[in-house]
Amino acid sequence: MGMAAVDMPDSLRVMGAGYSIESLSPDTLTLNMGPQHPSTHGVLRIILKLDGEYILSAEPVIGYIHRMHEKMAETRTWVQYIPNMGRVDYLNAMAWNWAYVGAVERLAGIQAPERAEYIRVIASELNRISSHLVWWGAYLLDLGAFTPIMYGFEDREMILDLLQDLTGSRLTYSFFRIGGVAADVTDGFLDGCRAFVSHMRDRLPMYDDLVTKNIIFRRRCEGVGILPLEMCQQYGATGPVVRGSNAPYDVRRAEPYSVYDRFQFHIPVDPDGDAMGRYRVRMAEIRESLAIVEQAVAHLPDGDVLAKGAPKPRWAPPRGEAYFAVEGARGKIGVYVVSDGGRKPYRVKLRSPSFSNLSLFAELARGTLFSDAVSILGSLDLVIPEIDR
Amino acid sequence: MNPEWMNELKVQCRARANDGSTGKVWSVFLLPEELEAVAKRLWEEGFFLEDIAGMDSAEGLVAVYHFDHFTRPGRVVLHVTVLHERPEIPSISPVFSGAAWHERECHDFFGIGFIGHPDLRPILVPDDLDGYPLIKEEGQRASLNDLLIPGEILDRNPDFTLFQQEIAKQVVDNA
Repeated sequence: MGMAAVDMPDSLRVMGAGYSIESLSPDTLTLNMGPQHPSTHGVLRIILKLDGEYILSAEPVIGYIHRMHEKMAETRTWVQYIPNMGRVDYLNAMAWNWAYVGAVERLAGIQAPERAEYIRVIASELNRISSHLVWWGAYLLDLGAFTPIMYGFEDREMILDLLQDLTGSRLTYSFFRIGGVAADVTDGFLDGCRAFVSHMRDRLPMYDDLVTKNIIFRRRCEGVGILPLEMCQQYGATGPVVRGSNAPYDVRRAEPYSVYDRFQFHIPVDPDGDAMGRYRVRMAEIRESLAIVEQAVAHLPDGDVLAKGAPKPRWAPPRGEAYFAVEGARGKIGVYVVSDGGRKPYRVKLRSPSFSNLSLFAELARGTLFSDAVSILGSLDLVIPEIDR
Repeated sequence: MNPEWMNELKVQCRARANDGSTGKVWSVFLLPEELEAVAKRLWEEGFFLEDIAGMDSAEGLVAVYHFDHFTRPGRVVLHVTVLHERPEIPSISPVFSGAAWHERECHDFFGIGFIGHPDLRPILVPDDLDGYPLIKEEGQRASLNDLLIPGEILDRNPDFTLFQQEIAKQVVDNA
């Protein structure tokens, strides 16, 4: 009773349900991880209750970079909103561009020209590779290895140069337009893609020698964070997270869009469901994306890159609603748009794969070692601005 | 074409949507009290929850649930509409654990109270935020009749008042 009379400090009050002074015991350690922390991949806070090294509970706290993108959608025109998409997930801006533009095109019945679709695929697959290279380097950094990120970023720099040639931006692309893309490729771009595909294929064996086969790395990832498929269904986990649990679910095959059905590529899965399995899936995906880029560059058709009569900045679509999903680097990105026929959207809902993937962390981390939790978090490949939007 | 389990659900309105133009296969409208049973059936059928999108309309606050499937693709969309004066919907987090976070976000933006939610604290917005950011200004609310495209309405409860124009047009087309 004496405790209850004490004025609860604000810091404890905002910790959340179940964290009153009364519920703390002298045998458990409450540790705050983040929001500033090198291993949380952004402004993510995790409130840990530890019994020694074992996690009793791990509660993510998000919202530190919430910018209310869905409100911004209602205060800008349909075309003006496109640049917002690059800021949702800055590592996978192409996919978010595509998800939004795809939803609007579906709503308004607009078809992008064939050449534009091929360019979209090339740009998005290059973006997927560059995103996976950041994930790879950052994951190893979380685990205490400082060298791999240097190699990963060196190769990623080639992609950034290519995409800068194509779009003008290194990272937060606003390259898609409703009805196509903003610009055509240059010959230098296509040559650069071919050179990069060849270069990256030569580099990947080194990645395996340096990291994948490394016994210290394997001990940190094998058997860690085993995610049953049922838990993926419970939380809506998608992307490499669900494919690492043996489910070959990929939006490019499940809800086919654009010209993906013209390319030969596999959907890597791993049966183990551990952090190592998710790692293997992403490494295999880099190879598959290289194959897609190679095929798309080889068969790029002639034509326009923007539909005739494509929307201008103050364009208004017809009334209605549409949902469009793409396979982003982190999982299934969904954009749901609702129109009342006005120049600004009535509602835009952004479905973030990292939001759903992180939501399972509290259950998955319970009972694990703290160092395993770091490995699990990295294996989910989260981007916090995508979670917070 | 219509799966057994879809026909067995107790709902207010069931419509087969045009996937190519809306991205959904099934548009389902239900009362709050019908939600739990439908969620359970979707879980048993192997669906996962993509997201819960709130919306502010003339008819009330709408919770739009998007479900999809790992092996049988085809989006199923549930719509639950509640009055602005009493925005309460049962939580489906006992069935889909991931719903807990989506419902918190929906509450953050619209003020919909999810009954039975284990922990309905703010998840994205600041704890001390005044009001709900996505509630429309005066005079800005549109009717669901003008916003939603349900598709071909297969059956409905006589009390279901939305989409009268669509229904009338379908009767004429099928005559």
